[in-house]
Amino acid sequence: MKKLLFLLIAALTVFMLAACTATEDAGKDPEEKDKVEEPAENGDSTDDAASDEKVLRLNNSTEPTSLDPSIGFDAVSWDPLNNLMEGLTRLNAEHRAAEGVAEDWTISDDGLTYTFTLREDAKWSNGDPVVAKDFEFAWKYMLDPETASAAAFLGYFIEGAEAYNSGEGSADDVKVTAVDEKTLEVVLAAPTGFFLDVLTNPAFFPINHKVAEADPNWHTEAETFVGNGPFKLESWKHDEEMVFVKNEHYWDASAVKLDKVHFAMVNDTNTQYQMFEAGELDTAGIPPELSDQLIGGDNVFIGPYGGLEFFRFNLEMEPFQNKKIRQAFAYAVNRDDIAEFVVKNGVEPAYGYINPGYTSPTGEDFRDVNGDLVAFDPDKAKQLLEEGMAEEGYDELPPITLSYNTSDTNKAVAEALHGMFQENLGVEVTLENQEWNVFSEAQKALELQFSRSSFINDYNDPVNFLESFITDSYMNRTGFSSEEYDALIAKGKSATDEEERWEALYEAEKLLAEEMPAFPIRYYNTVVLEADGVEGILRHPVGYFDLKYADKK
Amino acid sequence: MLKYILKKLLIMVLTLWIIITLTFVLMVSVPGSPFNSEGNSNEIVQQNLERHYNLDKPIHVQYLLYLKSVATLDFGPSIKQPNQTVNDLLGRGFPISAELGLITIIVAVISGIILGILAALRHNGVIDYLAMGIAVLGISIPNFILATLLIQKLAVDWEFFPVATWKSPMHMVLPVLALATGPMAIIARLTRSTMLEVLTQDYIKMARAKGLTPWKIIVKHALRNALMPVITIMGTLLAGIMTGSFVIEQIFAIPGMGKYFVESINHRDFPVIMGTTVFYSAFLIVMLFLVDIAYGILDPRIKVTKKEGE
Repeated sequence: MKKLLFLLIAALTVFMLAACTATEDAGKDPEEKDKVEEPAENGDSTDDAASDEKVLRLNNSTEPTSLDPSIGFDAVSWDPLNNLMEGLTRLNAEHRAAEGVAEDWTISDDGLTYTFTLREDAKWSNGDPVVAKDFEFAWKYMLDPETASAAAFLGYFIEGAEAYNSGEGSADDVKVTAVDEKTLEVVLAAPTGFFLDVLTNPAFFPINHKVAEADPNWHTEAETFVGNGPFKLESWKHDEEMVFVKNEHYWDASAVKLDKVHFAMVNDTNTQYQMFEAGELDTAGIPPELSDQLIGGDNVFIGPYGGLEFFRFNLEMEPFQNKKIRQAFAYAVNRDDIAEFVVKNGVEPAYGYINPGYTSPTGEDFRDVNGDLVAFDPDKAKQLLEEGMAEEGYDELPPITLSYNTSDTNKAVAEALHGMFQENLGVEVTLENQEWNVFSEAQKALELQFSRSSFINDYNDPVNFLESFITDSYMNRTGFSSEEYDALIAKGKSATDEEERWEALYEAEKLLAEEMPAFPIRYYNTVVLEADGVEGILRHPVGYFDLKYADKK
Repeated sequence: MLKYILKKLLIMVLTLWIIITLTFVLMVSVPGSPFNSEGNSNEIVQQNLERHYNLDKPIHVQYLLYLKSVATLDFGPSIKQPNQTVNDLLGRGFPISAELGLITIIVAVISGIILGILAALRHNGVIDYLAMGIAVLGISIPNFILATLLIQKLAVDWEFFPVATWKSPMHMVLPVLALATGPMAIIARLTRSTMLEVLTQDYIKMARAKGLTPWKIIVKHALRNALMPVITIMGTLLAGIMTGSFVIEQIFAIPGMGKYFVESINHRDFPVIMGTTVFYSAFLIVMLFLVDIAYGILDPRIKVTKKEGE
């Protein structure tokens, strides 16, 4: 019997071990581990092992959704992609679109035709030259309905793109043409003053068409990945780590200072901070619980991030069909307190919809020109509420439910709002939280009366946010509709005169604040801890970080 | 025996089918879609995405497609990570979770049994109180708290171990400790109570009367019977721990499969939900089956082949 017991245990063990070592990786592990372990073990030994190598260790939090530039449409894909590849334009240190693969371009007088001249020395990491055909191929691939790219709508600025993406047109009608090896011509559907900014988005990065035609899965592994950016993908252990090395084929390789970049994938805010503390990471986010303690340190980078947290009213539900009641709620909110005591982490309260950081054609900041469009004014709020209730003939306000998607910060903000409405308006709102997906569906279907929202910019122009509120926009989600507003946005998108275009956008934002289908709470920001010696990481307010000029001393 | 195994297999397939169907029904009845990201979008893009993943098809067609994917064991690409198939994800994550889980189980079983025996032998003594004190702590402290504590003390403050990631045996120590404490405590308490019961049995008195050494009595006569309840929970424990812990893998940045159970549901990543459900159910069913067989071997009084309704 004892033997049988042993046999059973032995059999189980063998079965389990077989299960573990069945993959090729597991078998090889011991050797690989030894190699990795030694430098990691002695703490600072990364410097000892190769004293002249500059290695930056970052955290990407998770596996990128995809390194196919048409598919990976989120921050975890953009940060790696922006350093592995480059579009026609690239954001510079002032966060504006500057020359990338294109060294020059001309724009026709009607603002519709863009002709780009590509650099002679722009090369892929496999040595191929970057040609105009690579852009044509990549953009048509992104717009192909079969590709199902989440970024495709950004391409609709191009003539014929929307028709192709919706399945009505054909690829040949998309007006992107490789005139010759180094000349790309793009015809837009309407003049778009910010088109060069849109082009910095990874969705518009080129794809080496020879590589992609030979192997459609070129982007899934480090061995087959071909980029044209400052770095190239040396290794990619899925879900574990990506390693970038300097790309010697990059046209501006002499500007690149780092030799290597490690991207860990640690998805726990405490752990990544602890790794930073232990010297295993060079940058880290601040865990919310430690915000008060750490935010004042001199190793903290705080910068703007193009995004807004706001609350939507549902204009199809009582009592928010009334403009004055909507305004009353907006004026009852003390945004300074929410930013400073509730959200913390150095965020800025929002008194307008458009975050600071967009420079007008006359060189002013959009926010400075339009100023504060809403304020904290309890008396005005009360008065507005009374007027609104009188207009609607209410003796008593219908019950109001404020919904948010489940998260600690959202809950804290909602509770603060609850208190402010009670104190400043004498209104008791009911709070309700829902799981993100459930919440999001209900919000889209206009089933929520009063709900939390956020907006992250896709490109560097105020119209990106303001366009959400045109009639029947997919992003509208308030039931708001105004012909005047729609006309202003149409002008704000396509006026060929830039000053005129901005003038329309200023007006549009003011109109939005007057109608108040949604009220702003705070702007997003980027807060990062950086280890000593880490320099030059460009963190753009819209989009992604750039390691091209980064250095580690 | 063969007939028993065949019958078991048939029940296993039937159980799996019920699980798959229930999961599917739950999946389609929960509101939300995989494409509700916080980013901007428009209707055409959403339609293209839905068509790409067959989500525009009628429900019964989707159900048949799912059944087909289960039957062929090819769950297709994940929606959240479209360049990876579900098989890729599980094939990569499971070996890592299983490695961590197996080491954890070995540590938990050995330390749990030793703790349990010591406690039983020194019943109501200092060692008993100490061992059971540890066990109570082990059960009551959630593993994610223990994990954070271990990292802060042993990795950040004293620098004995690396904080996180999965690279070397040194990286395994903290997650194994954090994960093993709970099961160890359960096993220790189980072993102690059955051991106490067994030690009062007549055949133990008999063995003592024969003059056998205490060591022999415990290892050869008492322990075998005392282990029956431990074996009982082994099946569920193995299936649970070897398929990965969401929390522990997240805290230690271990690229196992634990996260897919939770994240696939948050993302409404239907192929991954199906894949993890089928994988976990099949694994659990097999483990329970092995436990049944183990009973028969450990205790000749139990005849697995004659049992009905198991």
